[in-house]
Amino acid sequence: MSRTLMQRLFEPRSIHEIAPGTGVIVYSALFLWTAFVLFPIYWVFITSFKTPVDVNSGPVYLPFIDFWPSLHAWQDLFVFDYKDTLRAYMNSLIIALFSTAGSVLIGSMAAYALARFEYRPKFGVIVMFILVMGVAFYTVGSFGVDWRLASASGIAVFVFLVMSLSRHFKLQLSNGDILFWVISQRILAPIVVVVPIYLMFQQVNLLDTHIAIILTYTVINLPIVVWLMYDFFRSIPFDLEESAQLDGASRLWIFWDIVLPLSRSGLAATTLLVMILAWNEYLLALFLSTSQAQTMPILVAAMNAGERGILWWTMSAVIIVMIIPVIVLAVVLQRFIAKGLLLGAVKG
Amino acid sequence: MTVILDNISKSFGQVRVLHNLSLEVEDGEFLVLLGASGSGKSTALRMIAGLEAVSEGRIEISGRDVTEDLPKNRDVAMVFQSYALYPHKTVAENIGYPLKIRRISRAERDTQVRDVASQVQIDGLLERYPRELSGGQRQRVALARAMVRRPAVFLMDEPLSNLDAKLRGHMRAELKHMQHELGITTIYVTHDQVEAMTLAHRVALLEGGKLQQLAEPKTIYENPESLFVAQFIGSPPMNVAHGRLENGTFIIGNDRIETGGNATVSNAVIGLRAEDCRVVGSGEGQIQASLFANELIGDHTLVTARVGADSLAIKAPKDFDGGYDSDIGIDFDREKLYLFDNDTGERIRRH
Amino acid sequence: MTNNMKTRPGHSRAAHSRGFVEWLDRNSRHIFLWPAVIMILIFSIFPLIASAIMALSRIRFRGGGYNVRFVWFQNFEKQLFGSEQFHFLGTFAGMSILGWLVAALTTVGIAVWIVSYIRSSFTVIGFVGRLITWGFTLGVGWMLAATLFSGHPFGTLGTTLFYVIVGCGIQFIIGLSLAFLCSLPIRGRGFFRVVFFVPLMITPIGVGYAFRMMADTTKGPFSPVWQWAGLKDFAWAADPWAARFFIMIGDSWQWIPFIFVVMLAALESVPRDYVEAAQVDGATGWEIFRDITWPQVVPVAATVLLIRVIEGFKIVDLPNIMTAGGPGIATESMTLHALFAWRSLDLGQSSAVAYLLLFVTVVTCVSFFNLVVLRRVRA
Repeated sequence: MSRTLMQRLFEPRSIHEIAPGTGVIVYSALFLWTAFVLFPIYWVFITSFKTPVDVNSGPVYLPFIDFWPSLHAWQDLFVFDYKDTLRAYMNSLIIALFSTAGSVLIGSMAAYALARFEYRPKFGVIVMFILVMGVAFYTVGSFGVDWRLASASGIAVFVFLVMSLSRHFKLQLSNGDILFWVISQRILAPIVVVVPIYLMFQQVNLLDTHIAIILTYTVINLPIVVWLMYDFFRSIPFDLEESAQLDGASRLWIFWDIVLPLSRSGLAATTLLVMILAWNEYLLALFLSTSQAQTMPILVAAMNAGERGILWWTMSAVIIVMIIPVIVLAVVLQRFIAKGLLLGAVKG
Repeated sequence: MTVILDNISKSFGQVRVLHNLSLEVEDGEFLVLLGASGSGKSTALRMIAGLEAVSEGRIEISGRDVTEDLPKNRDVAMVFQSYALYPHKTVAENIGYPLKIRRISRAERDTQVRDVASQVQIDGLLERYPRELSGGQRQRVALARAMVRRPAVFLMDEPLSNLDAKLRGHMRAELKHMQHELGITTIYVTHDQVEAMTLAHRVALLEGGKLQQLAEPKTIYENPESLFVAQFIGSPPMNVAHGRLENGTFIIGNDRIETGGNATVSNAVIGLRAEDCRVVGSGEGQIQASLFANELIGDHTLVTARVGADSLAIKAPKDFDGGYDSDIGIDFDREKLYLFDNDTGERIRRH
Repeated sequence: MTNNMKTRPGHSRAAHSRGFVEWLDRNSRHIFLWPAVIMILIFSIFPLIASAIMALSRIRFRGGGYNVRFVWFQNFEKQLFGSEQFHFLGTFAGMSILGWLVAALTTVGIAVWIVSYIRSSFTVIGFVGRLITWGFTLGVGWMLAATLFSGHPFGTLGTTLFYVIVGCGIQFIIGLSLAFLCSLPIRGRGFFRVVFFVPLMITPIGVGYAFRMMADTTKGPFSPVWQWAGLKDFAWAADPWAARFFIMIGDSWQWIPFIFVVMLAALESVPRDYVEAAQVDGATGWEIFRDITWPQVVPVAATVLLIRVIEGFKIVDLPNIMTAGGPGIATESMTLHALFAWRSLDLGQSSAVAYLLLFVTVVTCVSFFNLVVLRRVRA
C-alpha cells in the first residue's frame, strides 16, 4: 500500500487529525489572520511608548531595538491632562455600570415576563396611548406647557379613554408580537431618534448629565437583553417556580432568588456584552454630552481636533487605557459570549 | 383538614379539560386521583394548589373558601413529579425554604429542618446539593420540604414516577406509613392503578375530565360502576368478552351463559377477573376458547385464551401446561361475573 | 397540632401588610413588563414620531428659540430630486453606454423576477411586499447605473450600501472560513478563538485611529512598502475608492470576529453523528462541509448575516474618525450625513436623511428576512 505524494500530503491518516499538507495551509491561514488581528493592537501599544520624534521620523517597530520606550505620552495623559482623562474615564465607568445594571434588570424582567405570563394587549389601546402622549409632548414642544403637567394630564386622559373605550377594540396582540416589537427596536438606527431625545432632555434640563446618557443607553440595549435572556428563562422548568409559589414566595422574590441565580451564565454573557456596547458607544454620547458628562470615546474623538494635528502617541495611550479592561474581560469570558450570541441567533 | 371541591370546571380556551368535579376529602384522608394522561387529574390538583385558575366552581380548604386565593395563602404543600428542588441551594436550604419565606428565625428553622430530615432519613445529606443526590434521596428531600411546613393538605403530583420500579415499591410503603403517622390530608395524583390501590383510603377515577367513580380501593375493584373503571383497575385488567344478552342469557359464539337476570341488551359485554377464572377441559366450563399463550409469572401461570376476537387472561396454577392453539374450557362462578352495556359502558345489575 | 400554629402562613402576619404584598404579587405580570415597554415607548416610539414630524418640517433657530414650519415632503424632495441630490443619491450627468446597459439589465432582471413570482405563487401581501423590494432594487440599480457605471460619484446612499453589502459579504465569507478552519481537529484552537474574538470588543473609535495610523504612508508601519511601490506621495484619503476600502477594512477587522464566534459555535454544535456517518461513507472534508455541516448551520448563518446587516447600516464612527466623510462626500455614510446636517442646524434635513436610512434599512432587512432567512429555514 504505497501512497502517492499527493495522498500523503492531503489525506489524513485518521479522522481525528488533518493531513500534513492541509495542515500547512490551515495553519498559514490562521497565523496570517492572527497577525492581521494583533498587529494594529501591537502598533497602538508601542506607539503609546514613542516620543513625537520616534513617530514623526518614520516607522520604528521594535521597542528597545528600534527605539527606546518613553512615558512621554502617558505623562501627557495622566499628568498634564489628567483632569480631562480621569473625568472622562469616570464618566464612562459610571455610565457603563449604571446603564448596564438598568438594561439587564429591566430587560431580564421583561424577558421573564414574556417567557412566563401571557399577555393579550389590545392594539387599539396601544395606539391610543401613543396618540395621547404624542399630543401631550406636542403641547410641551409647541406651546411651552410644563412637561410634568403635560404628561400627568396625558396619562389621566389615557386612563379615562381606556376605561370608556377599551372594550370596543378587538385586535389583540400576543407575547410573540411584543417580543418581536422589542427586538425589532434594534433595526432603528440611533440617528433617527437621537435628535428628539436631545430635545427631550433639553426640555427637562438634563443635557450633558450622567442620567440622560444612562437612561438612553439603558433603552437602546434593552432589545439585546430581552432577546438573549428570553431563551435562558424559557429553559428553566416551570416546576421550580410553582414550587416556590407554594412555599410562599412572591413573584418578585422568586425572580430574584430562583430564576436569576439559575440563569447566571446567560446573565454574565449578556451583562458583559451590554457593558461593552455602553462603554464603546459614540454617536449618542456625541449628542447628549458636551463637557461634564463626556465619555471616553468622545474624549478620544475630540483629540483629533487639536491644532497640532493628531498626537498619535497620546492618542494611542488613551486608546490603550480604554481597551485594556475590555480585552481582559473579553478573553476571560469569550466562551460565555459566544454561547449567548449563538443561543440568540439560533432561536431568534 | 378537609378539602371540598364544589362543581369545579376548567377550560383552556375552547377546550374543557375538567367537567364539574365535586369531591369531599375528609380530615386525614389519603385520596388518590387516578387517571390516564389527559384525564384532568393533574389539572384538578393544580387548581387545588392555586397554580391554575378555576373556571367555574368553588374550592374550600379547612372550611375556608380559597378559590381566589394565591397558592401561598392556601396552606398546602406540593411534591412535584420532577421534585422541583432548587439546584443552587443545598438540601438544608431547600427544606428550610418555606420557613425562610415565612421569616422563621434561623435557629428555629435549623431545628425544624433537622427534625424532618431525620424523619425521612436524610440527616447526613443536609449540606449537599440536589445534583449530588440519587433519585430516591431527591424524593425524600422534596417530601421533607413539603412536611416542614406542616400544611393543612399535602398535594402530590406523581411523586414516584421518576423512580425505578424497585425503589418505587419501597417509597410507596414509606409514604403510606408517613401519611398514617402525620395524619395530614393528602391528595395524590397518579396514572398507576397499583399505586392508587395500595396507597389510597379512597380512589377517584377520572377520565376525559369527568369523575368515573369515587370509592375505597376494595369497592372500586370489586364493584366497578362502569366498563371503564373495571378495565382500568386491576393487574391484569378485567377480561371482557363481547356478545349479546337475551332475557338474562349472555350469548357468545355457541356458548350460552345464564346470568341470572332477565335483561336484554343487544351489544353487551361480560367482565371477569383473571383470578376468578379456571381453565378446564375442552367441552367443560361455561365458555369454549382456544389457548393462545402461557406465561409463567412465578406463583402462577398467566394463560391467555381467545374467544372470538376477545382475549381472556386467566390465572392458572404455576404448573399448568397446555399446548398452544389447543381447545380449552373456561369456568367461573356466576357471582363473579360482571355485565356491562357496551354502548353506554354502564354496569348491568342483576339484582 | 397547636404548637404548629405559629408556623402557619397568614397567622403570623398582620392582615393589612398582606393586602399590599398580595396586591403586588397579583399584579407582578405588569410590574415585570411595563418598565421596559414604557421606556422603549418614551425613547424610541415617541422620538420616532417626533422625528417624522421634524422630517416634514423646516426648523429655524432664531435667537434662543426656534420656529417650526410644516413643509410636507420638501425635505425628502430636496434629498431625492433637489439641491441635495448629489449628496444623497449622487451626481446625475448623463449616462454612459455601460450605465445604460446596467440600467437595462437591472430592469430586465426585475421584470423576470416579477413574472416568475406571479407565475409560481401569488398572495396580495406577498405581492405588495415584493413590490416595495422590486421598486427599491430598481431605484438603487438605476442610481448606480447613472453614477457608478457612468463615471460619476454616488452619494451617501451608495456609500452606505457599499459598506453594508460589500463589507458584510466579505466579513461573512472570511468569518465563516475562519470558523471552519478553527472547527478542524487542529492544535491551538483555544488560542485562535480567543485572539480572533478580541477586535469585536474594541471601541470603534480606537479601531478608526489604529487603522488611520496603519494606513499612513509616511509614518505608518507600512510606509516602507508604500515607498518601495513608489506610492510614497499617494494620499489614500484623497482617493475615494482607496478611502472607502480602508474604512471597509477597518470595519471588517472589527466585525469578522462576530461572524466568526457565532459560526464557530454553530459549526461545533452540529451533531457529531452526522459527520461521522459521512466519514464512514467516505466523504472528504469539503464534501462533508458542503453536504452535512453547511445545511445544518444555514439558519444560524442567515440570522447572523441579518444581524450584521442591521448593525452595518448604522456605521458612523469609522468614517467620521478616519476620513470625516472625505474626500468630499466619498466615504460619508447616511448616519454621518444626518449628523453633519444636524451640525449645520438643519434639523429637517437631518431627520429626513435619518428617515431615509430607516427606510433603506427596513426594506433591505425585511426583504432579506422574508426572501432568504424564512425560505432557508423552511427548506
